[in-house]
Amino acid sequence: MPKLFTGAEILLESLRREKVEVFFGLPGGSVLPLYDALYSSGLRHLLVRHEQAAAFAADGYARASGKPGVCLATSGPGATNLTTGLTSAAMDSIPVVALTGQVAAGVIGKDAFQEADTIGISLPFTKRSFLARSVDALPRVIHEAFKTAVSGRPGPVLVDLPKSVLMEKAEPAYPDSPGTDQRAKVREWRDEDMARAAAMILESRRAVLYAGGGVIASEAWRELLELAELACVPVTTTLMGLGAFPSAHPLSLGMLGMHGSYATNQAICHCDLLVAIGARFDDRVTGRISGFAPEAKKIHIDIDPAEISKNVRVDVALVGDAREALQALLAELKRQTRQGRVPAHSGRQQWLQRIESWRAEHPLTYDKYGHSVKPQYVIETLSHYAAEDAICAVDVGQHQMWTAQYWSFNRPRTWLCSSGLGSMGYGFPAAMGAQMAFPDRQVLAIVGDGGFQMTLNELATVAQYRVPVKIAIINNHALGMVRQWQEIFFEKRYCDTDLSFAPDFAKLAESYGIRGVRVDHRTDVVDAVRDFLSDREPRLIDFWVDPAENVYPIVPPGASLGEAVVEPPRVLVEEEEALDDLWAV
Amino acid sequence: MQWLMALEIDDDPISSCRLMNTFRRKGITIVTLSMAARPAGFSLIALVETPEAEVEHIFNLLRRTEGVYNVTYYRHEPAGDASFVFIDADANSSSVARFLQAFPESKLIFASQGKYLLEIPADRRPRATVPGIGEPEYLPFARVKTSVAHPALASKQAI
Repeated sequence: MPKLFTGAEILLESLRREKVEVFFGLPGGSVLPLYDALYSSGLRHLLVRHEQAAAFAADGYARASGKPGVCLATSGPGATNLTTGLTSAAMDSIPVVALTGQVAAGVIGKDAFQEADTIGISLPFTKRSFLARSVDALPRVIHEAFKTAVSGRPGPVLVDLPKSVLMEKAEPAYPDSPGTDQRAKVREWRDEDMARAAAMILESRRAVLYAGGGVIASEAWRELLELAELACVPVTTTLMGLGAFPSAHPLSLGMLGMHGSYATNQAICHCDLLVAIGARFDDRVTGRISGFAPEAKKIHIDIDPAEISKNVRVDVALVGDAREALQALLAELKRQTRQGRVPAHSGRQQWLQRIESWRAEHPLTYDKYGHSVKPQYVIETLSHYAAEDAICAVDVGQHQMWTAQYWSFNRPRTWLCSSGLGSMGYGFPAAMGAQMAFPDRQVLAIVGDGGFQMTLNELATVAQYRVPVKIAIINNHALGMVRQWQEIFFEKRYCDTDLSFAPDFAKLAESYGIRGVRVDHRTDVVDAVRDFLSDREPRLIDFWVDPAENVYPIVPPGASLGEAVVEPPRVLVEEEEALDDLWAV
Repeated sequence: MQWLMALEIDDDPISSCRLMNTFRRKGITIVTLSMAARPAGFSLIALVETPEAEVEHIFNLLRRTEGVYNVTYYRHEPAGDASFVFIDADANSSSVARFLQAFPESKLIFASQGKYLLEIPADRRPRATVPGIGEPEYLPFARVKTSVAHPALASKQAI
């Protein structure tokens, strides 16, 4: 007599075979059989306080580890609460497998209690959604879900699990190897296109490498470094690409785009060749498309053919995995260099000097000597004292951009950021997820006071499991980025961006059993940060920063990168009108 | 500009829902749409309107969509060198018969709900000499691209 297992037991065994170490979720009626099986399974599960945090935590786990993150929610409201997190994962191509409970198969479509059309809801933001129709299909469904999440361009996959399927019994037939081991490769480029790309690099005199999240997803950072050094080409990264190239490297240009540095954006405006690697020409990167790299020929390396010429027309498209494409490009560059007997890096010193002069003209800077706590100073101090391999998760808004500008990025997979969707409330739970992937590393959640109020309920989770996340609140008592736009683009008509009615975050942390302090003097920042990072416990600092501080440079909406406002306007009253005209574009 | 999109998809209704959602989100105007059941899934043919600058992106998006086996797209080609004809026989059921009379060696690519796509053999006489072939129910097309089996989408059997 064969041994029979419930669907719930088969599901958990399938997760184990996919090498899942931990997952994030919150129980409910339709997943009760699953939690019953979990009771004696030995698998690690983190009980979150809201399902959105489960999705963000799974995302943070995946970004930090490179392995698919897993989240679990019950049917109906549990499943719908996952949607923001899964949409964020889809926008940033993060492999997440979401498991959702569903009412029993026999009552699907009957508007049963806590029934929602989860599959229908999930279509726009999943690579694929499975409805597990029978217990026999479960091992194959889970295998396919993991394989799909990591294959090609990674992304979220959803598996909807009717309660009846979790309770049925079967003799499971598991696939031989994990789905994640069978990720399908993509290599569509033609050899002649690769040769043309290499020749374009050798012929260029003002080239820039523009690296996105695809470099990190494909683990192509070594090849990127080799290409930059071999050809002596400076590298700019997108928000998603931060960490793909060390920010201390002499060829590093930092981030480009709306809040990119003056030198970086000038380099884009004046380059004669732009090599985009795993990047998608996002509108926050390009500004006005017609003004984006107008003098440059463009090469685009991307695993997703649908990204080619979607926003910006390119001259050469190389569709494939970024790492394999860069390896092939390096080999071709070396071959052509040998044939032509010209070093790949020749003729670019003048270009690098020009970039250096732009850097000297308008460096990233702020007032370092005032009495108030400047948010940029807090970020620089945190970055300075954090461990070299510390992981940094952020929310969305001003603090996110200041961190992108002032944090020292030395390693890939240390930067967690809801970049495409721009979801507030991401940073804290994402940090929780990353900490579960790397329990021994320092993980910081740098969040705004607005975003933190969206997920502060997860203080209970980190307190319960003693997850040693370090929470740094950049508190300007406002929805800062929105306030900044109201100030600059809406004539200072501040409407509903004031968050001065808020809890005492330090005391709130204390109420959960987490040490919390407030810092509101510049001279206290260093000591507070050193103490904050000194132990292996969850901690919170509430930095009361200068509420008037804005993020600069800024490319106004509708403007090109060359039209960035590089520093706070110090204008006479009579000059304000002219400035208003500029910002009204 | 009018285009013909022909897709082979798996038998999971979720895949066809995903396709319709893609059409909606990308602002593609569907002029006519037909589906036919096949042993391993569905064939779908859609006469659509979308700017020329968008169509390559849409083709690439569709061919890498989970659940899609194959995509081919055709450009409306009134100039006379078309090798495919799309026939909407809803209004006139004799349209197909008349066409097949003129081109008996035509290959039937798709047929469902009064919509037909036929390939005209390359060595046949020019279309323009066939009486009535310029009528609105005959839309001439030229094939632009067809997808090859995408390695990332290798395992798409229905589960």
